[in-house]
Amino acid sequence: MHLLASLFPNDRFGLLGLIIALPLLGAIVNGIWGRRLGRQAVTAMALTVMGLAFSAALVTFLHLREVAHEAGHGSHVRLAWTAWEWFHTAGGRSAHNIPIDLRFSVDQLSGIMMLVITGIGFLIHLYSSSYMADDASFSRFFAYLNLFVTSMLILVLGDNLVVLFIGWEGVGLCSYLLIGFWFGKLENAAAGRKAFIANRIGDFGLIIGMFLIAQYTGALDWDGIARNAQQLLAPSAAARVHLWPVGGGVYQGFWSFLQPAHPLTISAATAASLALFLGCTGKSAQLPLYVWLPDAMAGPTPVSALIHAATMVTAGVYLICRLNFVFVLSPFAMTVIAVVGALTALFAATIALVQNDVKKVLAYSTVSQLGFMFLGVGVGAFTAGFFHVFTHAFFKACLFLGAGSVIHSMHAHIHDDVASQDMRNMGGLKKYMPVTFATFAVSTLAIIGTPLTSGFFSKDEILFKAFTSPAVHPFAEKLAQRGLGVWKQPTWIGPTLYVIGVIAATMTAFYMCRALFLTFFGEFKGWEIGEAKHDHAHGHDDHGHGHDDHGHHGPAPAPHESPWQMTLPLVVLAFGALFGGWLNAAPFHFEPLGEWLEPVFERSVKLGVEVVGGEEHAHHLMWPLAGGGIAAFAVGSAIAYWMYIAQKGEPAKKIAESNKALHQLLLDKWRVDEFYGATVLGVTEATAETCAAVDQGIVDGLLARATAATVAAGGFVLRAMHTGLFHVQGAAMVLGIAGFGWFFIAPHADVAVNELSGTYTVQAAPGIGYAYRWDADGDGKFDSDRFGDQRVLAVSVEQGKTKQVRLEVKNVFGLTGTTSVTVGTEAKKGATVVGLR
Amino acid sequence: MSAHSEVQATERPGAFDIGLPDILFTALAVAVIAALGAYTDPAWVPAGIAGLFGFAAVHAYDKTTRISVGAIAALCALFVVKMWPTAVSLTGGEPVVESPTQLSWLIGLPLGGAIFMLFMPRQAHGLLKNLTLGIMVLTFAASLPLLGVAMGSGYHFDQNLAWIPQFGIRYHVALDGVSYWLVLLTTFSVPLATFVSFGSIHTRLKDWVFSLLLLEAGMIGAFVALDLFLFYVFWELMLIPMYVMIGVWGGSDRVKAAVKFFLYTMFGSVLMLAAILYLAYAYGKVAGAPSFDYFDLQRLVLPRSTQVWLWAAFALSFLIKVPMWPVHTWLPDAHTEAPTAGSMLLAAVMLKLGTYGYLRFCLGLFPEASIEWGINLAAVAVCGGILYAALCEWQQTDLKRLVAYSSVAHLGYVMLGIFSMTQAGVEGAVLQMVNHGMSTGALFLLVGVLYDRRHTRQLADFGGIASQMPIYTVMFIIATMASVGLPGTNGFIGEFMVITGTAASLRLGHFAGIQAVGAALGVVLGALYMLTAVQKVFFGPVTKKENEGLPDMNSREIIGIAPLVAFIFILGLAPNLFLQSISGATTRIIRDVNERLDASPPPEFHRGVPKLLNRRPEAPAAPVVAETK
Repeated sequence: MHLLASLFPNDRFGLLGLIIALPLLGAIVNGIWGRRLGRQAVTAMALTVMGLAFSAALVTFLHLREVAHEAGHGSHVRLAWTAWEWFHTAGGRSAHNIPIDLRFSVDQLSGIMMLVITGIGFLIHLYSSSYMADDASFSRFFAYLNLFVTSMLILVLGDNLVVLFIGWEGVGLCSYLLIGFWFGKLENAAAGRKAFIANRIGDFGLIIGMFLIAQYTGALDWDGIARNAQQLLAPSAAARVHLWPVGGGVYQGFWSFLQPAHPLTISAATAASLALFLGCTGKSAQLPLYVWLPDAMAGPTPVSALIHAATMVTAGVYLICRLNFVFVLSPFAMTVIAVVGALTALFAATIALVQNDVKKVLAYSTVSQLGFMFLGVGVGAFTAGFFHVFTHAFFKACLFLGAGSVIHSMHAHIHDDVASQDMRNMGGLKKYMPVTFATFAVSTLAIIGTPLTSGFFSKDEILFKAFTSPAVHPFAEKLAQRGLGVWKQPTWIGPTLYVIGVIAATMTAFYMCRALFLTFFGEFKGWEIGEAKHDHAHGHDDHGHGHDDHGHHGPAPAPHESPWQMTLPLVVLAFGALFGGWLNAAPFHFEPLGEWLEPVFERSVKLGVEVVGGEEHAHHLMWPLAGGGIAAFAVGSAIAYWMYIAQKGEPAKKIAESNKALHQLLLDKWRVDEFYGATVLGVTEATAETCAAVDQGIVDGLLARATAATVAAGGFVLRAMHTGLFHVQGAAMVLGIAGFGWFFIAPHADVAVNELSGTYTVQAAPGIGYAYRWDADGDGKFDSDRFGDQRVLAVSVEQGKTKQVRLEVKNVFGLTGTTSVTVGTEAKKGATVVGLR
Repeated sequence: MSAHSEVQATERPGAFDIGLPDILFTALAVAVIAALGAYTDPAWVPAGIAGLFGFAAVHAYDKTTRISVGAIAALCALFVVKMWPTAVSLTGGEPVVESPTQLSWLIGLPLGGAIFMLFMPRQAHGLLKNLTLGIMVLTFAASLPLLGVAMGSGYHFDQNLAWIPQFGIRYHVALDGVSYWLVLLTTFSVPLATFVSFGSIHTRLKDWVFSLLLLEAGMIGAFVALDLFLFYVFWELMLIPMYVMIGVWGGSDRVKAAVKFFLYTMFGSVLMLAAILYLAYAYGKVAGAPSFDYFDLQRLVLPRSTQVWLWAAFALSFLIKVPMWPVHTWLPDAHTEAPTAGSMLLAAVMLKLGTYGYLRFCLGLFPEASIEWGINLAAVAVCGGILYAALCEWQQTDLKRLVAYSSVAHLGYVMLGIFSMTQAGVEGAVLQMVNHGMSTGALFLLVGVLYDRRHTRQLADFGGIASQMPIYTVMFIIATMASVGLPGTNGFIGEFMVITGTAASLRLGHFAGIQAVGAALGVVLGALYMLTAVQKVFFGPVTKKENEGLPDMNSREIIGIAPLVAFIFILGLAPNLFLQSISGATTRIIRDVNERLDASPPPEFHRGVPKLLNRRPEAPAAPVVAETK
């Protein structure tokens, strides 16, 4: 440790670079040379880099602990490393330069994330080495997986929002690539694209959040944002985000009807928080952007475990925890987060109730659990929300891997992807796959909140906090003193959130037990178990001949337990799922994790607590409120037991039949995808079609084709004249000469009046053989009877008066022409003569 | 596990194909590199490692290709090491001697080469190809000394000779931070495009290389010309070869596209010519003798009424060139019909002349009018460029047309950045010009690869290409990600700087926020259209028999794409290498505009007779004109 401290000072902690670079190295090596290396070498490479990364992360974490210990209790410590100066951008009041460095840091919060990512990542790599063993694109898989870990590490270790964004988009890319891993099937590729685009909608929010934060706080790194976060709340009008009129303008003239009596503004804190939260809903699959996650199950199951359960999808929660000091400035945004989280938890749970695909159940369960996490952070219980991230990583990864293990063994004889994941084809696997069963059961117990398991502690704390901690504006009193009203959270929100949470938890208990019972209990329904009739070696790489038959005709060997590479991770994760809760056992006042994370959330918790007046008064409610969670667990699992074990699934069928429409609606996931397809996507597509049509029809038509047509029409007319016939052209020439002749014969009397500092000169236009005579005094008679050659006439006019000047022209043919002109400017009434020009 | 594993079933399970000799060779090579680095220049170490990496990475190709890619990788690494900010400050002790003829060589080499080509035998294809590439590589090499010069805020390599003195027309070329990377981008991408084109152009080769060389001369000239007359000459000079390239070697509807391209551009440039003549005349009225020199004309302050019209003439010309809504429709046609190299150069370099023109001439000569109308142009850039073009793009069924529309969207960011008039916005805009050259150049190259194999560009004709051409797919996805602005690739930096710069803009007034939001929305649309196209072309099962067994990228193509991919990442990860030479010039531009606006504030601006200001401090010293009278 001393060596470490001397090698890597706290501000140049290069080990972080190594932690990130190791998986990247694996990705590059496996990606470029994977095919030549062969499977064993690819496995070795991928596992080595992950193992080393985990070790390095562990060492870093221990070092961090020591540093934190030295710094004293409750101090926020950080080990940082700057790779290089990346670029810079503008922000702040004076639009100064904000340097954006490629800088990484680890503190109490990201330290835990780092451990989870590398640790669980290593286990899942190990699992995959067996799970994917027969896949043709083995090396590509590990390259992607390693790249994912790199991106995820960049996400949590990034020291500013932009570096975080590299990881944020990087995990999105890897997720896209891994969901569409088997791109030969168009649905998989489409699911990948859907995920990427849904994430991009979120990223749109994140970008807006970034520039708002850059603009108001003048910083993008965590320290800088924390330092200037209060700028987001400055009460002056300029510091508010003007929604209507857009940007704070004024609608005038014709548009004045759009001008509201009071401009609609929100604080920059609310705007930035909501924008960032939009990013979180994309990445962490919350309403309304959750739709990609269930589809993402098209990817290989280890991917679902790592990316779509344990790590990537929790990035949103991490972001909110990371920027907690921004979010607490806006009670409105906090309430939105909590409400969205609670509704997502409930909504996804309803869908999970009836799904038959085991991965779909787990996917909706993930969405639901993520909802719980957002409920937690939304009510200001950052520790609780983050704790749920931690425990969820264990039990959900374990559940997915367990499901993968089951699917793996089912797939040995059912080669259809859908059928091999259908729980109706499973059952009774308990006796064939004991390890998988045990770990799956333990994780199920954890997720449904069986008392004293990890899920119990994390979920109960969220529910408790939801009931007791209202989001209060940290500066409500100060602002009220200045006569500025702030948004107040209605008092009914807390209890409602609690009730929704309890209902969702009950559903969780029900559907998870249902999945457990359908898969592992009862009779095996997959195929007839017995000696295989044909000893055709049925490997995985001969699926190419359209083997889509549901199950085998005739008996086949019983499903078998998976090899150790797959069961070992299950056991480790199940262990974590069972005992991980004791890291933060709030009801027993044993909270090492809470104390560890306290410095991270200190600022915001203090802000909140000051106003609420401490949450100590609510402490006596902890056990009574825990009753709700325990009841949810008991009721949900009891109903499931009664339905699927005691009654062998009969009641479920009956309920489904008596409520056919509702059941179908739930099976179809509330038809949200269809709804989005018809509304958002439909509108966008229609707009796009209109744009494309306008582009071709109107813009191009008007500017290019219409112009061309005009020229062509002119050409057509002119071409008709240019026939090349001698007599026609001769006639045209005669006409032309006649025209010119007439022009020369007719006299043209034209004058121009020039004025130079009050004196006027009238100048007649020249012509061949012209003679002129003038009427300069305006008496109607020409000054002389004879025509002379005076072409320029000086006229004196009194100021404010005008004079009529007449000119007659005679040309050599003796023809005359005449014209008259008014010289001088008439004085306007009331206007002073002086200065009138 | 998968029912789809028939794709890429070529892997030899368990094969450990990297044997002891490989490892020994690598070790030896590393040792040699390290020794070389220790004794000569430490920069050789990363360069050598990168070279080795490049050599090893394309293991599926023959030795020549591997060595070439290795060399490209080594050069890129060398570039990064040498340009690294700390490295520059360390070696920045002695001032670099700037040769005044440097830029003239850059113009003269390809121009002279083009004329020289006329005397070469038409049938000797090998000779023509090698000579052309030789000239272009020489030009590129001649442009490398530019890298050694710290740009700062001033002008460099200034050369100012009398040309037609009685009209004040001079041959004046110089380089500043704005044109710096654009010139290098030109000398970099022209040989690349030419090299790639030799794989698909086999007819009228002599005419082809003549056009390419002439085009290069024209483009470089237009970027460095600081005499407006000279600029106009180059501006028109590059128009003709491109017109010929589209019209002769283009697709089925090439003549129409070529004429459309020519007429559109010509329409704008004739107006610009009129404005240039008026400017020179107006300068002559005030100063006594007309001048076409940029720094002279910059001193001229015209009344608002005049300025707006002159500005409009310039702006329309550039608007067409960029191109921006509503005068963008020539671009999809031109791109679709143009041969691959033509599309690459059109997108990578020629379009930048429009945005460069805004930055140099509109903002430099008519700052008041530019600011007055800049808000509107920014709105056009967001609505008509970023959003509208993206939506149009989504509906395209032709892959090349789709990429063409993406150019409109990307240049929308550039326009927005320029008119945001913030340091980050303008810098981001200049960087985005370079970025777009790399990523869109790569995309056009890749579309050309597919076209050469299938002679179709319709999305519907493809599907499942990923299983047939895996290397190609990887390259295409990298280029796509750069195009949609994934952080870590070049596209992100430019877009992000433009968006934040726009949000912080004071010149855009209260529209700044909503325009930044609109620009951010373009990020979503970008992903939507590019990924839809990628999915249609690459994923899913192979449905068309013609697509089975398509050969993957050949040596020529892989060598062509390698530097572009390298720069996609270099620009994305170390943009400071580029920004450090851009920022001085952008600071100067913004300061100049602000000073002019402070002197004659909006909305009235300057009234009365035109007046002359002092020469800008950064302007190169005015030439000593021999008095003839």
